[in-house]
Parts: sequence; C-alpha cells; structure tokens
Amino acid sequence: MRFMVLVKADKDSEAGVLPDGKMLTEMGKFNEELAKAGVLLAGEGLQASSKGARVRFSGKTRTVIDGPFAETKELVAGFWIWQVKSREEAIDWLKRAPFDNAEVEIRQIFEAEDFGDAFTPELREAEERLRAQTAGRR
Amino acid sequence: MIIVKGNAETEAGAMPPEDLFTAMADYHDQLARAGVLLDASGLQPTSKGARIKYSGGKRTVIDGPFAEAKELIAGYTLIQVKSRDEAMEWARRFPAPHGETAEGEIEIRQLFELDDFAPSAAVERFREMETRSKK
Repeated sequence: MRFMVLVKADKDSEAGVLPDGKMLTEMGKFNEELAKAGVLLAGEGLQASSKGARVRFSGKTRTVIDGPFAETKELVAGFWIWQVKSREEAIDWLKRAPFDNAEVEIRQIFEAEDFGDAFTPELREAEERLRAQTAGRR
Repeated sequence: MIIVKGNAETEAGAMPPEDLFTAMADYHDQLARAGVLLDASGLQPTSKGARIKYSGGKRTVIDGPFAEAKELIAGYTLIQVKSRDEAMEWARRFPAPHGETAEGEIEIRQLFELDDFAPSAAVERFREMETRSKK
C-alpha cells in the first residue's frame, strides 16, 4: 500500500528559511534508510506559499489567488510517498524521522482496485498508459 | 505540485462520479502528452490516516478523521514546467475537482530543486539518491 506523508509548514518554512546542515544531514540519513528498505518512492520540499497560488472553482468561474496564504498550520511544506505493508509500518518509520517541533500527516493513496466499478476498463487502460509514460520521468 | 483540497464528499470516501473521473483522466492524459506529468494520485479520507506531532523529543500519534475538510488534501498532481506561468496555465485548465456544480479549490506550489540549497555534503547525498532512483 502507498502512503503520502505530508509535512506541515511553520513560520520558518513560510519565510523561506532553508533547513540547516544538521537537519539536512539527519534527513539525508533517514531518506537513505527509507530507500534501502524499499520504502521511499518520492520525497520533495515545497517552496513557501508566497511563490504559489490557488485557483477557486465555482460553477464556470475560476478565480486565481496568489500566495502567501495565512493558515500556516494547514499548509504543506514537504511530502514523501512511501510503499509499506501497513499503516503501522508507516507510523513506525515516522516515529524515527528526525523532526523536532513539527507535525506530519499520513494519508493512504487510492489504488485502482479501491475504485471498484467506477474505474471502468477504459479508465484503467488510460491509467496504465499514463503510468508507463511517466515512470522514471523527472 | 497541484494540490486538490478536500470537501465533505471526499472525506466520506464517496466515489467520484464517472464524468468527473473521465474529466480527470482526459486532463492528465493531456499533461502526459505534453511531457509535463510526473505523477498524480488521490488520497483516501483522513479516517484512514493519522497525524504525528514531534515536540521536545516526543512523538504523539493522533488517528484521523480530522475536521476542516476544506483545508485537507484530497489529491495531488506533480508537473514539470518551464515557468510559474506555464504551471498556472495548466492549473486554470484543471477540471473542477469536485465536479462542475460543486465548489472546489486547488493550490499550486513550487518544489525545491537541489540547486536551491547551498552546496554541502548532505545535498550531494540527496543528489546521489536521486541519480540512483532514476536508474
């Protein structure tokens, strides 16, 4: 099963303060352990919301709102995608992560099987084509 | 990263109706054909998730579900583009994430690239991991 791990923002990440050498080193070691265990699928940091935007959909209207956004605790500063055998395994790994004064959220990713009949054979084929096209791309 | 915000339906684990599924598939197909799509997934409701708080060396696990559905994340799409303007062009074309008759919101955020960090041994290790993962 795959989980997305969302690292919540704080005032430092929103101010564009980069992690210090110690954090980068500890996070690097943690990522290497995840990779060695075959757990790490992806991991990225997100730049401050001042560089971002939102689009609101209401009927046919689309409204673009430039960042920054106020609710720091609801913003995402980084994420991982992990492949694990269970929710408990993901939580065990997270307990070992080198964070201090932080909050992360873990969310299970939908797989094709989870959608049942709504995921028609045509959609399934389209999904497989997309996965093949995007595999390993960066 | 294009982040799709949640709502009461996504938190209830409701399956998207077929026309929304099709609109999302068509859009992501266009992203792929343009060579822009890196990855995309839907996230299961927070009732299947958890949060971990880190404070003073301690870890506290809190099981979902979580409130404020509109602040929660229901899905993501990762794209590779030449500029913020190009990202915003694609973002404006994103299908209404909860269907044409419902309100919805997406958030667009730029990723850090390794070159954004001051060079260091730690950054080099991340670069090596990246190279290995692409093989």
